[in-house]
Amino acid sequence: MRRGIAATALVAALALAATACGGDASDGKDAAGDNAGGELSGTVTWWDTSNDAEKASFQKIAEAFTAKHPKVTVKYVNVPYGDAQNKVKNAFSSGSDAPDVIRADVGWVADFASLQYLDEVPAETVKKVDAEFLPAAAASGKYEGKTYAVPQVIDTLGLFYNKKMLADAGVQPPTTLEEVKTAAAAIKAKTGKAGLYLRGDDSYWFLPLIYGEGGDLVDAKNKTVTVDNAAGVKAFKAARDLVSSGAALTNATDGWTNMQTAFKSGEAAMMINGPWAVADTYAGDQFKDKANLGVAPVPAGSVKAGSPQGGHDLAVYAGSKNTAAAHAFVAYMTSQEVQVQSAKELSLLPTRTAAYEQPDVKGSEMVQFFKPAVDKAVERAWIPENGSLFEPLKVEYTKAITGASTPEEAAKTAGAEFRKILKGWK
Amino acid sequence: MAAHTSQSVAKAAGDDVEHGDVARGLSRRTGSGNRTGGNRTGGRGGLRRALATHWYAWAMVTPVVLVLGVIIGWPLVRGVYLSLTDANERNVSRTIGVRHIEATYEFVGLDNYAAVLSDPVFLQRLAWTVVWTVACVSITFTLGLALANMLNRDFKGRAAYRMALILPWAVPGFVSVFAWRFLFNRDNGILNKILDGGGISAVPWLDDPTWAKFAVITVNVWLGVPFMMVALLGGLQSIPGELYEAAEMDGASAWQRFRHITLPGLRAVSMTVILLSTIWTFNMFPVIFLLTRGGPGDSTEILVTQAFREAFITSPRDFAASATWGVLILALLMIFALVYRRSLRKQGEVW
Amino acid sequence: MTTRTRGRRAPLASVGLHATLLVASVVAVFPVLWILLTSLKPAQHAITTDFVKEPTLGNYTYLLESSHFLSWFANSVLVAGVTTVLGVFIAATTGYAVSRFKFPGMKPLMWTLLITQMFPMAILIVPLYNLMGDLGLLNQPVGLIITYLTIAVPFCAWMMKGFFDTIPIEIDESGRVDGLNPFGTFWRLILPLAKPGLAVTGFYAFITAWGEVAYASAFMVGEENLTLAGGLQTFVTQYTSNWGAMSAASVLIAIPAAIFFVFAQRHLVAGMTAGATKG
Repeated sequence: MRRGIAATALVAALALAATACGGDASDGKDAAGDNAGGELSGTVTWWDTSNDAEKASFQKIAEAFTAKHPKVTVKYVNVPYGDAQNKVKNAFSSGSDAPDVIRADVGWVADFASLQYLDEVPAETVKKVDAEFLPAAAASGKYEGKTYAVPQVIDTLGLFYNKKMLADAGVQPPTTLEEVKTAAAAIKAKTGKAGLYLRGDDSYWFLPLIYGEGGDLVDAKNKTVTVDNAAGVKAFKAARDLVSSGAALTNATDGWTNMQTAFKSGEAAMMINGPWAVADTYAGDQFKDKANLGVAPVPAGSVKAGSPQGGHDLAVYAGSKNTAAAHAFVAYMTSQEVQVQSAKELSLLPTRTAAYEQPDVKGSEMVQFFKPAVDKAVERAWIPENGSLFEPLKVEYTKAITGASTPEEAAKTAGAEFRKILKGWK
Repeated sequence: MAAHTSQSVAKAAGDDVEHGDVARGLSRRTGSGNRTGGNRTGGRGGLRRALATHWYAWAMVTPVVLVLGVIIGWPLVRGVYLSLTDANERNVSRTIGVRHIEATYEFVGLDNYAAVLSDPVFLQRLAWTVVWTVACVSITFTLGLALANMLNRDFKGRAAYRMALILPWAVPGFVSVFAWRFLFNRDNGILNKILDGGGISAVPWLDDPTWAKFAVITVNVWLGVPFMMVALLGGLQSIPGELYEAAEMDGASAWQRFRHITLPGLRAVSMTVILLSTIWTFNMFPVIFLLTRGGPGDSTEILVTQAFREAFITSPRDFAASATWGVLILALLMIFALVYRRSLRKQGEVW
Repeated sequence: MTTRTRGRRAPLASVGLHATLLVASVVAVFPVLWILLTSLKPAQHAITTDFVKEPTLGNYTYLLESSHFLSWFANSVLVAGVTTVLGVFIAATTGYAVSRFKFPGMKPLMWTLLITQMFPMAILIVPLYNLMGDLGLLNQPVGLIITYLTIAVPFCAWMMKGFFDTIPIEIDESGRVDGLNPFGTFWRLILPLAKPGLAVTGFYAFITAWGEVAYASAFMVGEENLTLAGGLQTFVTQYTSNWGAMSAASVLIAIPAAIFFVFAQRHLVAGMTAGATKG
């Protein structure tokens, strides 16, 4: 109910404020002619990948676009994030029933752009993106010097912890993996519960470990695969060590279910997760008092602490029949007002620099925590193959963390698989 | 003495079966013979005569032949062709709005086959697929046979048992697989909870390669037993009761009766269900895909899920490799069917 | 149904029999029963092993009001239904022809029908995917129906041949005596007799299409276009876990199927032994 009122207020505010935004977004491309007289029309289909806890809010915001452009109908479709890269490709390659606008993980943009599926962002908007958005976020929408997507939210991983459980065990939030192990031992001794839940069935969770050892998956500048160098092997070792030492729980299947269940019910005192999990976590029994949830930077490995820069961009399909309205919709969805709204409601991080000055954003504890973490987050190589690396990496990461293969084997095989994808790389 | 008698009885049963087949064969021949007689018009060319004689039959099969040709034949040919190219999602033709991008993939001969066959992954997948198929079919058959034998008696509550046992077949497979995944959950599943109550520590059902293999086989057996049971029960009920009575009068033991009457009597049914079940299991996609997605790691990946992975999960999507795996799977199955048929022929089955 | 009375069983054997069957029945029923119980728990507690404490229909209301379950259901019914009707319709005459006549090309046709049934979806999925893409039929029920016909047509033809084999040849002869051509015989005399067979064949074709996962996962996108097999997957993914909705959906799918099966099982069994096993 509260949300409903907020959305209505937002619509009213936007109807007044953001018309300019929609106007210049459509300057770039008027081929469809639907901008005649400055009025947009038709249908814009948006494929959103936000999760169960977020989607109702986004649907409301998206449909409010109609208040601004009465002749445009927004069709909201939720496509679960897990399958979205595939499903988007299916739709884009066939053109049948394809969306006009997609919410793409920052890792997918280069892939879709290289397949010529994306429509370039109009020049006016590009100027704004370059001037008003966080530079790291803006970089994710670019491919070969052109801008194909506008950043919607930015995120990174952090260490979520249960304040009460840590206090009961008499430990501070750990800052290194070694401290994680000692803290876990104390938690085990005092409460009988597990210290950390570390996801083992998704290779995104491997990134903080490899960054922590000073490594990376690939070195795009020198066209070199680096997952199998010494730092990579150490990262696989660290993952296995956390599990075999009893400091961390993990699963090879149903990791999300078990991670959220364990953390929300107090079976595990800490987990590594991103802002997208905040809304769902607050629904747990342990966090009825929201203040019980604390977030700290990911623990450092032997070299440093590093977490991946993630987030989502909005992009327009090159085959869209309604590109003008689609670009206007993207401009609206990435406008400051909408970003502030989703920061407030969903604890998602804005991509606009100025948004962080807004009281609603300043007032969000999660955003306040994650912002410095995002500033220090490791920027990934925005290459088309970015998304392709995770599937083979997942296989090896799962094997290594569950002890089905040694860290050395895992690193070696992952490196070989990467070189199959990145033809000609060292 | 007793054994000898029951053997002869079994032979009689076998004869009976064959007799039935012969009769059916005869009737078919009679039918077509009459047809030929009725339509003899004394045409000149062989083709014309054939057309005059057989046009009814040909007209009747036309819809199926057309449909098979268009939606199976053409894709099959194309699949084989794709396996000889380097097609992937970056070079196949695609339509983006008004823009059409032409295909640029090239013919590469047998390169894909060389690549797949020389990769140790193929042998790993093949070995596990064979283990998976043999384990599933043999366990399913054994359990199905045992249950069918139990249900093929007259006792109170038979109908209720039968209904309960048939349930796994009645529920759509994908629903059951999700149900099992829920039960198997290591940290929050009911199975481990029950084991815990018995003092057994958590079993990593879907988290350990060996246990995951065990788990996928369990689920597939659970799904497959009702079909097997029902088919074999049908077979059991078609064995004349007199055979058993005669054998019993000769003093044959329960095991002898089973060995010499039941098993031979079930030959025809068994052969068919084993063949069907083997093919189904070999190609069983949903159980693996929905339960483990081939994991943990790649330990439960069978040939079909691997082919699916190449085309739809890895990126860039490798259409050529997927087609190559598909052709290899088909070749393996056809070899299996031919060998199976030959061995049946040797044993005198008409199939 | 022949039942033998083979002397009296020892009481011990009888206990053993019941014990074994009871265990087997529990194993068969338990997963479904557990899902039913889970569906009655509040959604936040779906992933616990407790028994139902505060039963609620919340998962069902969520499913029917806030998810696309009903669209998925409708899509599945549409796709499986049309596939079945077309499959039976296209295949019926062929089943009859190969059952009654001997004609040049029959052997190869029989072989083709048999072999296509062992086709792994892996061989056809990529070409069909590209074909549907070129025709603009991806993500459309029509595309999925055409795809499912590759499974249904050979299967129906093969199975119906089995049924027609069980209809006495004398009926054909009487038709001919009355001056009917083979089409007339088929249409007027044989088809009415084969109705139960058609129904059973149709049923198998229906459940095969109903439960298909691979094509449905690869071809259909966007929440509201999915079939049930694809839709259920969206409840539990890499980043979502809605086991409450999943269990409620499972129950709503399983119960009608199970009831139907229980009532129809006698016919199905008869049909299968006539069709599938007399190949």
